[in-house]
Amino acid sequence: MRDRRSFLKFGAGVAIGSVAATIPAMASTNDCGPAIKWDETHDIIIIGSGFGGLSSAINIKRSGIKSVLVLEKMLQFGGNSAINGGWFAVPGNPIQVSEGVKDSPALLVQDQIAAGRGMASEEHLTAIANRALDAFNLCVDSGVRFREGFNMLVGGHSIARAVRTVDGTGGEITRNLYKVAKSEGVDLRNQQYVEDFIMENNKVIGLKVRRNFRYPDLTTGEIVFIKANKGVVVATGGFAMNKQLCKLLDPSIDPTMDCTNAKGATGEVTLTAMSHGALAVHMNMIQTGHWGSPDEGGFGWSNALLSITWHEGMVVSVLNGKRFMNERADRKYCSDRILANRYEDNSPAYPIAFFNYNDHPDDDRVVRALRDEMAWKMDSVEQMATKFNIDPKTLQESIDLHNKHVAERKDPLFDRVMDTAKHLAPPFVVSRIWPKVHYCMGGLKTDLGCRVIGSKNLEPMKNLYAVGEATGGVHGTTRLSSCACLEGLAGGFIVAETINSDNKV
Amino acid sequence: MFKSLLALALSLTLCSAISASELIEVKGKTLGRENHQFIYKDKNACKSCHVSGKKSTTDQACVDCHGTIDTIKIDPKNLVNSHANPHASVHYDTAISCIACHAEHEKKAPLCAECHRSWFKEM
Repeated sequence: MRDRRSFLKFGAGVAIGSVAATIPAMASTNDCGPAIKWDETHDIIIIGSGFGGLSSAINIKRSGIKSVLVLEKMLQFGGNSAINGGWFAVPGNPIQVSEGVKDSPALLVQDQIAAGRGMASEEHLTAIANRALDAFNLCVDSGVRFREGFNMLVGGHSIARAVRTVDGTGGEITRNLYKVAKSEGVDLRNQQYVEDFIMENNKVIGLKVRRNFRYPDLTTGEIVFIKANKGVVVATGGFAMNKQLCKLLDPSIDPTMDCTNAKGATGEVTLTAMSHGALAVHMNMIQTGHWGSPDEGGFGWSNALLSITWHEGMVVSVLNGKRFMNERADRKYCSDRILANRYEDNSPAYPIAFFNYNDHPDDDRVVRALRDEMAWKMDSVEQMATKFNIDPKTLQESIDLHNKHVAERKDPLFDRVMDTAKHLAPPFVVSRIWPKVHYCMGGLKTDLGCRVIGSKNLEPMKNLYAVGEATGGVHGTTRLSSCACLEGLAGGFIVAETINSDNKV
Repeated sequence: MFKSLLALALSLTLCSAISASELIEVKGKTLGRENHQFIYKDKNACKSCHVSGKKSTTDQACVDCHGTIDTIKIDPKNLVNSHANPHASVHYDTAISCIACHAEHEKKAPLCAECHRSWFKEM
């Protein structure tokens, strides 16, 4: 303890949690008098245990590097990937092949470039897409099961190429990769909070870690210094759960918006890397979804339930019982209109969204939503009006008016395309809606080999790598769905090759 | 020896429900679980779980006595639905610490409840 205490001066004056206050030079071996007493030494340290961290761990270990350590700050492994929906874009997947669908990494990249609105990196996207089959095979070989015959066209893609895990969650991937990594000799530790990088000029040589940390209390655990001989891989995901940071980067993100992410997605390691000179890009590109529900945590069932509502149902303000938007318009339009529903004290007046129960009584999207009380079955307009505190007469009038527009297949109020709209009559399935923060397109800029670029000279920093959502400038304005899983898993293959080639020199 | 004593005591008090033993005052004002009362009789009781200081702990002591998560079965009768089994979670399986869900000194809802709000109660 005494030895370690003498090094606590590295952290002197540093407000814990406020990484902006760290002074890089203080953590360098050059300016610190005595050399650091390392508590332990490894070849590679990977920070984070989601898709990117676990794939990196397995691939780096398999490439012949002996000592690979994974540090996870939470009590559970898997990060935000463990609660991801398990959709995975794989051009050339076995189902496409059996169905004769022609696809390629280049076609996927084409779709991603369109969604990126000129801000995506074609080279990075290509490098990632080229490893999609490798990543898919890693999953299958690790015990992940994908739904038989299931290959879907998901939002923004021009072709059906997204497969999905049997359990419907990325947790099926992370929990299996965790086991494989462990069985192959990767050292995986939870409750490890990385407080700082230890630098030697432009090179990261180790980490200052709060061991046995108990999230989120930064006074728990004890400080240790861990040396990384061959490099540090940042696989810490995004920062969507960091409200303070999101607000600084994008003032349009309303503080009343919840987030789909796991609690640990707070991005402090990204900030630490920045404090040591890493270049971060596109940080204000924070993806939100208008399909959230305030009545469940995480991504939840809401998006799937609303895939029915947007087409067949209607959305009504609880403030006046009237429709206020085109239910089928894009994310940004819908978010803005939903967020405008406020009580006088500016608190959210969650709008209600509903469709006919009798059209989907056995649909899994309905059954689970009702079971988990994030949606409710309402047998009459009066019952619905009472529950959500709306004037029953106005609500009935709004439904009648909408039904007239449905019959005419024309929406003079908001110009919604009415081809899929249905005549509405109780019983209804009703849920409440409010946008959620979802994904960070921004992060650490890397070269094509996952080396983190330094802001000092725009050259790669030594021994510092990043993969997955922690990186930035890959997707541009919009990340397409099912591509986060791909990015994290593929990154592990790329970074393993880079680390090996960097260590041959 | 202490460990085997713990194991014996536990084998007598283990139950299969998703539940925890009652929270009672075990040492002064410190709250703890009724079935752990015997631990608190020891003068080094805190060190049983807090090996490196009071503010940090892992689930090592839990596992030493109760076994790993995959060996502790939950009676399906006590689940709100078949998906709601924290000891066979599709998200984590074995990749999770006991103390992500269980607390010794306070009532706590399991981690799952962060998203699946209607599935679990504090225990």
